[in-house]
Amino acid sequence: MLARNTQTNALHWLGKQLFNRNDPAAFFDPLLETLDPMLVQSQTPARVEQVIEETADTRTFVMKPAARWAGFQAGQHVNISVEINGVKHTRTFSLSSSPELWSTQGLVTLTIKRLPGGLVTNWLHDHLGQGQVLGLDEAFGDFLLPKTPQPVLFIAGGSGITPILSQLETMATRDFRAPVTLLYFVRTQRDVIAEERLKALASRYSALTLNIIATNENDKPRYLKSQDLKAVPGLKARRVFLCGPKGLMDLANELLHQQGVREKDIHSTFFSSATPALNADLADQVLGGKVQFGKSNLEASSEGDASLLEIAEASGLKPRHGCRMGICHQCSCRKTSGTVINRLTGKASGSGEESVQLCISIPHGPVTIDV
Amino acid sequence: MKQMTEVQLQELEQDLNTIRDEILADLGERDARYIRRVIRLHRALEVGGRVMMPFGLIPPVFVAATVSLGLSKIIENMEIGHNVMHGQYDWMNDPSLHSQTYEWDTACSSDSWRRTHNFEHHTYTNIIGKDRDYGYALLRLSDDEKWHPAHSLQFLNYILLSVFFQWGVSLHELEFERIRRGEIRLRDKLPFLKDFLRKGGRQAFKDYVFFPLITLPVAPIVLAGNLGANLMRNLWSSTVIFCGHFTQDAETFNAKDCENESKGHWYLRQLTGSSNFTGSKWVHLLSGHLSYQIEHHVFPDLPAHRYPEISDKVQAVCRKHGIGYNTGSFGHQYGTVVKRILTYSLPDRLRTKLIGQPT
Repeated sequence: MLARNTQTNALHWLGKQLFNRNDPAAFFDPLLETLDPMLVQSQTPARVEQVIEETADTRTFVMKPAARWAGFQAGQHVNISVEINGVKHTRTFSLSSSPELWSTQGLVTLTIKRLPGGLVTNWLHDHLGQGQVLGLDEAFGDFLLPKTPQPVLFIAGGSGITPILSQLETMATRDFRAPVTLLYFVRTQRDVIAEERLKALASRYSALTLNIIATNENDKPRYLKSQDLKAVPGLKARRVFLCGPKGLMDLANELLHQQGVREKDIHSTFFSSATPALNADLADQVLGGKVQFGKSNLEASSEGDASLLEIAEASGLKPRHGCRMGICHQCSCRKTSGTVINRLTGKASGSGEESVQLCISIPHGPVTIDV
Repeated sequence: MKQMTEVQLQELEQDLNTIRDEILADLGERDARYIRRVIRLHRALEVGGRVMMPFGLIPPVFVAATVSLGLSKIIENMEIGHNVMHGQYDWMNDPSLHSQTYEWDTACSSDSWRRTHNFEHHTYTNIIGKDRDYGYALLRLSDDEKWHPAHSLQFLNYILLSVFFQWGVSLHELEFERIRRGEIRLRDKLPFLKDFLRKGGRQAFKDYVFFPLITLPVAPIVLAGNLGANLMRNLWSSTVIFCGHFTQDAETFNAKDCENESKGHWYLRQLTGSSNFTGSKWVHLLSGHLSYQIEHHVFPDLPAHRYPEISDKVQAVCRKHGIGYNTGSFGHQYGTVVKRILTYSLPDRLRTKLIGQPT
């Protein structure tokens, strides 16, 4: 093992010398891609095997990643990358299948809902079909089941069901012997994602209590209420898993605290909807925000049209820079989250991970950058 | 330098910004496809060259292998590396095409290049004393520098610089002339020297040690072919770059005229300090579109394959504002460069007697 590692390290070192890159294996990607996209080394390629219609706006993509992919645990997410009009976009989605499907058949599923105005989710629905290949990173996330059986309560909203589907499948397969309750909030009964799978699970896995609640079928919305929680037997002894839109998460947290559920027993995973692109003039926008400098472990706040470069320098950092007028790209670096406004164009960036020029980027709300 | 009022400069800035904005709004799949096609061509040429090289005992194969490897280095340096490092493809959000992390196939480290070229040269273009690319602190190319007897042999220096161009470029940031004048100490340059040894060593190891060694029985042939490929790249890139700013009509500037300059003034300097040459599609590709040096200097971060399609618009803006647009055939432009190097090697009295007063 040690010998093999040394050998791999030596090869990697040599590759770096010969190809001038930190991922030497990817040097041949442009050629390999034309032979077979599944040979690409820079990300793990995954081929779409099947597309399943779940609801009017939700689809499940069954995918076969290249065998070198390291696998995942139930409840984890994965970054996928797609190229839309020449631009690479990376988004995070929960894996909705169980790890068993991966270990036995080499398949994983992503269940994706169209977000109104969302560039990537709409593209995936409109363009990603059987036989196409996209890039997958390794799975991550700590929305994980307890190691030993203990009572569990899941509260899901809309497409927040996806990591929980993976967890329920896993619990059923492993015969997780403890009471499990799922409170699943959907707009209407037509919006239930994976209804067949959920019903099949409930019938073969007797520990599971399934409660699907439609919020918008009557004049008065029917949201989560304390009675729903009181109806869950032994609530205080349960581990609670929350996944859904922010409104549901906030409400659930508040009600759970009222019921005396301890903070450490609540696990949350967030997903945010796409922010519509802002094209108004700079003057109309509220500029500034909290800036996290990821690498320096520093935080600063700004108001007005100070650029990220100016904010970094005011915080005592010295990011690499050049012309300070958006020409030389010396100061380009990675933004890991948040939105910035381009001082030259007045346009807002996306909210995901991408490269920005510090000297002409003005924070628009909280921003995290790799400086 | 042409004198323009602030109002005229503002109008110039707006006219050029309009061209830039049109292209920015249109960036997309076409540009991504273009650069990926060029990258595939580069990979194929490099793999082909390296694989053929050991069979170089057969003379035509030797020539094919050397030319293939030489072309791969030229394309990688000029059309891929130089342009990617300018941030021309940052918008693609592809980590392997990102300006700040790309490392190219030449002795100069990308970090050093980004400092001396992207920042110094592109910000202070042709400002004597601030743009160290003007003559590379080695050649006297204008009246702004006082003649010195050593300049009489500068054509020899030019030939040497071209032959060893990748090493000249990689040592540019050492600022040897300032060390000699005692303005800075060698020890200030230790971090740079470390970086130089790492990257330069890596390149020398690859072409002159590793590939010859793994083909040991034919090592001399592989070594010769690799030297030939590097020489080919050195001569070509040096020639292209010299045609960009040292032609007859490319202007130079005084530092004090450029203090607190506006963007419009910066544009004017880029237009008048740079020069193009004409040629076929392949000439443009192999020069990394630096044959459109003017367009490149005005818009250094627009994908270079777009320069030919905006050239007419840039020329129209120049005509409108009465600014010269310096272009000509490759032979003509290079001829004026050689003439400039030769004439400025002469003492001023002799030079003015031979070719008249500088205009």
